[in-house]
Amino acid sequence: MSSARVKPMLKNLMKMSLGAALAVVGLLVSGAPISAHHSFAAEYDAAKPITLKGVVSKIEWTNPHARFYIDVKDETGTFTWNLELASPNVLARNGWTRKTLNIGDEITVQGAMAKDGSKMANARTVTLANGKRVFAGSSADAEGPAPAAAPATGR
Amino acid sequence: MSVRRRLLIGAALAALAVPALLAQTPSPTSAAGSGGLNTGRGRGAPPPTGPAPKLANGHPDFSGVWQGGGPVGDLAQGMPKGEAIPLNDEGKRVMAARQSKDDPEANCLPTGVPRTAPYPWRILQTPTHVFILFEGNIHSYRQIFVDGRKHPEDPDPTWYGHSVGHYEGDTLVVDTIGFNDKFWFDFRGHPHSDKLHTVERYTRKDLGSIVVQTTITDPVYYTKPFTITFTGRLRPGEELMEYICQENEQDASHIKGPAGTP
Repeated sequence: MSSARVKPMLKNLMKMSLGAALAVVGLLVSGAPISAHHSFAAEYDAAKPITLKGVVSKIEWTNPHARFYIDVKDETGTFTWNLELASPNVLARNGWTRKTLNIGDEITVQGAMAKDGSKMANARTVTLANGKRVFAGSSADAEGPAPAAAPATGR
Repeated sequence: MSVRRRLLIGAALAALAVPALLAQTPSPTSAAGSGGLNTGRGRGAPPPTGPAPKLANGHPDFSGVWQGGGPVGDLAQGMPKGEAIPLNDEGKRVMAARQSKDDPEANCLPTGVPRTAPYPWRILQTPTHVFILFEGNIHSYRQIFVDGRKHPEDPDPTWYGHSVGHYEGDTLVVDTIGFNDKFWFDFRGHPHSDKLHTVERYTRKDLGSIVVQTTITDPVYYTKPFTITFTGRLRPGEELMEYICQENEQDASHIKGPAGTP
């Protein structure tokens, strides 16, 4: 990571609450989570960020990646998106449980779209129904540090 | 938050974060790159410091759960400063033709040697065998005979090969032949043949770090033997967890493009 990227990140850290900032530092100290069994850049396009808002319809707490599916409505209909997280082990080590996401939850996901144009994305952060924003601990972070987000069980 | 508090926190964060960020930087020129130390944990304590422990018989004690210690994205990160991997023309040709979707690891097949996955692992030492237990990828193990036996004359090719080991002072030396030619050395697709011969030297430098130095000899794809070095880190209080990659693999069919990007 270049120092040019470190400076704005530290500036952002300073704008955050102390707890959230320390949570992010915890992630940095422990290593930026790259947790895939495959090359991130071979499957997802970091230059194609996407924000999706929808309702969780299915959860797969499975390897090599935990996945969840959300139904996203727009003016043309309802579409199901397949969202990749890290492995359950990495998520658990970052404070997730298999009950962090639940069917029926209305959530917002930020991630990177699949290169092949399918309705798949690598989730980086998930904003839960209760407004809490959790870090997805995914391979996306091969591309850089996570956005400001607390671990799943944080605060 | 007051300006003064922000400044204090900022200074503290800078002190904490900058060395950590530097440590994360891929270091193609570093002899002891961070290796596979890149699966994060939100609650991890820094590795403990102190002298490397020894077993009652005087051999080094490698117990504990480790992370890293081999290439994940790029084998070249383990090369000495200023040195390139000595691929021959055929090696370059094979590597250039590889597609990421064909990476065995992406298809839930083993890493082989010396590649590591970004998951923890453990060394189990017995008087006759040393086992390396991998959480992923795949959830498997290596078996190293330390009972003095030799390699078989013509071993059947396998993903982890046939390994014999012995101790040299504080170092476990593992000699392996009998590999298949299927696994890749990294996401970039550095190749090898079934003529691959590896000699790994595992040394616990201190309580919290293990240096893994691997000499790779493969006359089919490389002009000369070369040695890579990676350092694994202890993960105190950690245990291996189950990781069955084949359970729900959906990525390989969506992976596009040539190997080459980590």
